[in-house]
Amino acid sequence: MAMAVGGGKGGTMMNLNVTPLIDVLLVLLIIFMIIQPRIPHGLDALVPKPDKNQKPNKDVIERTIVVSIDAQRAISINQTPVSVNDLGQRLEDIFKNRNEHIMFIKGDPKLPFQDVALLIDISKGAGADKIGLITKAIEEQQ
Amino acid sequence: MASKRAALGEVSDINVTPLVDVMLVLLIIFMVITPLLQKGVSVDLAKAHNPRQMPDAEKTNAVELAVTRDGKVFLNAQPVAMGDITKQVSDLMANRLNKVVFIKSDARAKYGDVVSVVDNVRAAGIEQLGLITERVRPNVNVPLTQ
Repeated sequence: MAMAVGGGKGGTMMNLNVTPLIDVLLVLLIIFMIIQPRIPHGLDALVPKPDKNQKPNKDVIERTIVVSIDAQRAISINQTPVSVNDLGQRLEDIFKNRNEHIMFIKGDPKLPFQDVALLIDISKGAGADKIGLITKAIEEQQ
Repeated sequence: MASKRAALGEVSDINVTPLVDVMLVLLIIFMVITPLLQKGVSVDLAKAHNPRQMPDAEKTNAVELAVTRDGKVFLNAQPVAMGDITKQVSDLMANRLNKVVFIKSDARAKYGDVVSVVDNVRAAGIEQLGLITERVRPNVNVPLTQ
């Protein structure tokens, strides 16, 4: 009788109970699944320093795309007015015939950041690789 | 006699499994909470459809400038005056190869404030920016503000 009890106990000790381990691992898995989408996302932008020794030639100036938005939220591509819904398509049409997808964005200082972010977002969606922000200092230099 | 020995045996080895469970869960909870607490400045990010993942922005050595709705600027969660940005950023970026500054701006912050920050960053010799945004699904429409 005593032997049987001892043997029985020995048996339970040998079988490692993995259920709690699995519980913990599942909780870990769920936590990491939730964390995954929290990786920060962002839009790339450039604030290039123009080369002082090199004067921008006429060809470059003519090909430059500047998308601007004024305080009334009127958007224009190189002074041509465009609606926010058409902007992506217009940019895609322009980029279709070009190798380098470079453009600049200029926003009115009174606007909320969301509006300028929206322009950058649409431009990225249209395939712009390099988006330069035109800031006060860059404008003064020109 | 037999029952007494069995009873003694049960008492002598403590079941540590629940303890370990609790400890591991606690550990995990702290692992999760710590980076969330470090983010510090909480801003309502701008929404965008096409942002790329920027895992670098989460690294401990990332240089992040936050612009809040009321125009306050924080450099890595520490408040910083507009005039000090250039010096502090160039100090932080002195020996870096990958010179990227992350701008975490509130959606309703004035773009003028963001531009001032960008100009100061640019004066520190930084040309590459990462504008941190919140990613929304393509079917969610993001309109212009009114």
